[in-house]
Amino acid sequence: MINENDPSTLTTSGRLLNYNEAIKTGLETGLTFTKLMDQLIRTTDPDELVSAATQLADFQLDSDYVTFPHQYSNADYYLLFMSRMLELHDQGNQIILQSRDHREELTQQLTSLGDRGTFNFRVEPSANGGVFYRERATGQSLFYLNLERKMLRFNSHALTQLFVIDLHETVPAETVKTSVQVLIDFARYLKEDYGYSVDFNLLDAANRQNYAVRAADLPAGIVDRLFVVAAQNDYMLTNGVNGNGAEIILDEGVVVDIFNNQLSGQPEWVLTVHDDDQKISWFDVLLKYPFMRDWYLENLTELEIKSDPLIFG
Amino acid sequence: MENQEQQASAADILTQAIANKLDYLSTMQAAVQHGDDRKIYELLDQVRYYQEVKKTRTKRAVNHLAELVDNIHPQISHYLSDNLIDYLGHIYPFFYYEEYTTGLFHIYFGNWWDRRLFGDLDVVNVRFDFDKTEYQKLRDSFALESQSQRLNTAKIEAVSAESERLQQLVDAQDDRDKQKAELRDQLKENSGKSSMPWESGKVKEERQAIIDQLTKLADEDEKALNAHKSIKANDDRILVLSKEDTILNYEKQSIRDAFDDFEHFEAHNASLYADYLNSLLGKSEGEVTVDD
Repeated sequence: MINENDPSTLTTSGRLLNYNEAIKTGLETGLTFTKLMDQLIRTTDPDELVSAATQLADFQLDSDYVTFPHQYSNADYYLLFMSRMLELHDQGNQIILQSRDHREELTQQLTSLGDRGTFNFRVEPSANGGVFYRERATGQSLFYLNLERKMLRFNSHALTQLFVIDLHETVPAETVKTSVQVLIDFARYLKEDYGYSVDFNLLDAANRQNYAVRAADLPAGIVDRLFVVAAQNDYMLTNGVNGNGAEIILDEGVVVDIFNNQLSGQPEWVLTVHDDDQKISWFDVLLKYPFMRDWYLENLTELEIKSDPLIFG
Repeated sequence: MENQEQQASAADILTQAIANKLDYLSTMQAAVQHGDDRKIYELLDQVRYYQEVKKTRTKRAVNHLAELVDNIHPQISHYLSDNLIDYLGHIYPFFYYEEYTTGLFHIYFGNWWDRRLFGDLDVVNVRFDFDKTEYQKLRDSFALESQSQRLNTAKIEAVSAESERLQQLVDAQDDRDKQKAELRDQLKENSGKSSMPWESGKVKEERQAIIDQLTKLADEDEKALNAHKSIKANDDRILVLSKEDTILNYEKQSIRDAFDDFEHFEAHNASLYADYLNSLLGKSEGEVTVDD
């Protein structure tokens, strides 16, 4: 009985043929890989770019019979993808991709931020897949990206820690704004061009965005504190329009509301930021108004904007 | 015959009394139908009307007719509130009213966060019934302004000072620990001293002094241990006091914007009835002219 699946039953030439086939398959995998790399690096078609990145995201280059000693990690293809995506939108100069001399490893800097932040992707080892975009020195994961599931989630905790706290002393607010805008644009292209589900979190400038705060049942004292510091800064916290919260009118028609979004049952306190042009997010408010920033940071345990609990739980 | 006459005159008197009441009510009804709020106010309290609006010195006899509508005051108040609140809105732009039940109005001061419930608006009598405690706070707050103080400045300073003392107590823990160690050494030394009968009193005294000091330090340790909680509680108290000061500041600013000072504000309140009815007088005359 000759069973092709059982080598012990094969003739010598049968075994050699099998071996040869395995090598061929391995080499073909390598060829496919080089084609995808070509596509990722050279294509000027955004659709092809996304397609290459999605396939490379979990590409298995090695097989039992053919292995490649020099390999970039899957996370690096994401960096490449990100910079190419920005390049195709004429924003290629806003990030700098750096490769190491003797190692196959990439890192990225945001041009405006320079060496005050170095970024890469970290592969999520669990079955969920996807990658975290993180700042290497602080380990803050700013967003989560999953090409297969077409989703991107910003992380309010990390954005606050890195940009509102850590870099506050050394980096001017305008620079922070420009740097973060690169990340927002990248996410926006994925959302607008490829229908990704994107949670911009505290970076979302849309008026309808309700930023849910961590303490769903916000203690009244926290709003009282804002009332007192606002008055010290010549802004008045008034009763909210809907009667179950407070409102503060800042400059240039920017209005921040903090209120219980649930009329009955379990309370859910949220923040909103309204402006006619829908250009201002909660993050922008934190950068522009020191007293709002202080208030937010002093009560961060209760006020921190919630991130997707499935990703950043 | 005489009896019949008496009967007749009794009937006349009663008829007249009833006619007076009917007349009162139909006048009131007509005033409502014509939207003549001034007339309604006149009917509600003729004595006050003649004294304060007509400024006649002759006293009008009290006719008690107004009692006829006592039990529909809520409806009257509800009806009259429309124009009155419009009028008040111009003069007291910082008061907000909430009709919590038909004809009864709460006054809120301002539109800022946690504005105060400041009393009730008595529509029928055109009068503010301010909450005495809240009103007194505002009055005191104006009085303290001359000393450039806020109502709670002294209290906040006292609480802050207490927190500072507590913090010092916490900070001095190392010093206390050192002192305690020294005192315990002294205590050992003391108990090791050969106690000659003539010295025993002195040794005992020394010993007691050391123990007293140790007890005092232990008390301080305990206070320091609870200090964190107390400081937190103090912070909450300071927040409540600062919030009240902030609210009072907004109230004072509102009054200054509208009346220059507290005295003018009070004078306006005192003459509110006459001022309002005079404003209605002007209006209804104006309307008549237009109609003609």
